[in-house]
Amino acid sequence: MRLENCWFCSSTVYPGHGITFVRNDCTVFRFCRSKCHKNFKMKRNPRKVRWTKAYRKLAGKELAEDATFEMERRRNRPEKYDRELVHKTVKAMEKITEVRKARQDRFWEARMRKARQQQRTADVVSLEKEIHLVRAPGAMTAEAAADKAAAATKRKEKKRENLRVAAEPVAAQAMQE
Amino acid sequence: MIQPQSYLSVADNSGAKKLMCIRVLGVNEKQSGSIGDVIIAVVKEALPNMALKRSDIVRAVIVRTCRGIRRPNGMSIRFDDNAAVIINKEGNPRGSRVFGPVARELRDRNFTKIISLAPEVV
Repeated sequence: MRLENCWFCSSTVYPGHGITFVRNDCTVFRFCRSKCHKNFKMKRNPRKVRWTKAYRKLAGKELAEDATFEMERRRNRPEKYDRELVHKTVKAMEKITEVRKARQDRFWEARMRKARQQQRTADVVSLEKEIHLVRAPGAMTAEAAADKAAAATKRKEKKRENLRVAAEPVAAQAMQE
Repeated sequence: MIQPQSYLSVADNSGAKKLMCIRVLGVNEKQSGSIGDVIIAVVKEALPNMALKRSDIVRAVIVRTCRGIRRPNGMSIRFDDNAAVIINKEGNPRGSRVFGPVARELRDRNFTKIISLAPEVV
């Protein structure tokens, strides 16, 4: 059985999954799951939806042009059956998948390398710009200790005040007696 | 899902444009018709000066449904509209052309003439 690609997200449609929609002009749309079918019904453009293969390729996030993709193209020319050729093709399919995977990995690595560099330069720039917000750790600990001490004295004073207020009526009574 | 009172468009050049189903043949009262089922229908709209007129009662076979069908191999297929082809008692189409895609299930029901006239069989 043929494994078709989803019209919306370009993933493989396995047998028994998804639905096929036939428009009245005989165009066949295959969807891998209801998510893709619903997005199609909402008239969304797969090139503008960020999770689709079409978007990722267009935005340069994935390998877009490669000889290994050309090999998967549908060919309308019928081929005469040849056992040897079938054997070779099946072997080649595995090899092509391997090569493609390696190339995609390399592409991703290159992209990430660039991204890391960009991040680093952005960090340096922000550090230079906002250096006034940064303080030495020693200064910070001293300040924190001073704060703590001030808070403690304040608390102590309040406690004393409370005690005094509580004792006042008792003292007045004693004086009267 | 075609049941009495369902409207269908006509996918041939018999002259009728819209049908209303009044009976699905060969199914239980509670079931609905699907692709390949024969229905009895009333012509609701027709082109002028053609063999079929408004309010004629005709036999038709369902060729497309929005609900679609699930094939034994697990494939699910749907169409844009509910459409039928008007047939005679022998199961041959009354018109001479069929428009739009039709489902392959018609071949299993022996509507080979419709299959051969259709521009695309899916």
